[in-house]
Amino acid sequence: MEVIIRFTAEPLVPIAPVFPLNGRNGAVIDFYGVVRGQEKGVPIEGLNYEAYLPMAERELRRICAELEEPFPCRSVDFVHRIGAVAIGEPSLHVRVAAAHRAEAFDFARQLIDRMKEDVPIWKI
Amino acid sequence: MDDSHLINLLAFAQARAVIGCGERLVPCSPAETPAALIDRLFPDARPKLSGCRVAIDAAYASWDEPIGTGRELALIPPVSGG
Repeated sequence: MEVIIRFTAEPLVPIAPVFPLNGRNGAVIDFYGVVRGQEKGVPIEGLNYEAYLPMAERELRRICAELEEPFPCRSVDFVHRIGAVAIGEPSLHVRVAAAHRAEAFDFARQLIDRMKEDVPIWKI
Repeated sequence: MDDSHLINLLAFAQARAVIGCGERLVPCSPAETPAALIDRLFPDARPKLSGCRVAIDAAYASWDEPIGTGRELALIPPVSGG
């Protein structure tokens, strides 16, 4: 499984999958996490993200490796913003490609759930 | 602490405000635990760090296990990515 992990201070610009694919992937999932206008019920003007970058990448790779056995996928591309992100802008993009949709959905959901438990990224 | 070495102490998010800096080189002996090191350097800080985990060399570790030869100790408040 190919795993790409990136952190960027630049806006996330959607890039469509390049079709035709290789003929092995039957599902491509794109997930964007987007900054809302409130945080825990309180109106906000945006969010500011900080990360412990070497550990964040290491944790994400560990989680991907653990998810690969139950949910085999072909590739994962994870991008998270750091620094200031305005309301309505994406802070996270995850693209998962797999042979079948079930593994792709399950992998993406669990990767994001586990990121929120263990990956050292913070809204500050 | 004859066998002491310098360790890079990192503090993120809320933990940075508790100890007053984000990064600092501090002396540490291999037998010292993260809890003991923080208590020695910041005697009033630990109650305010009760929700934090620690990482040694970018891997989660225990507050109560010796730091050993670790070179970087990070204070990890509850994470909130996404």
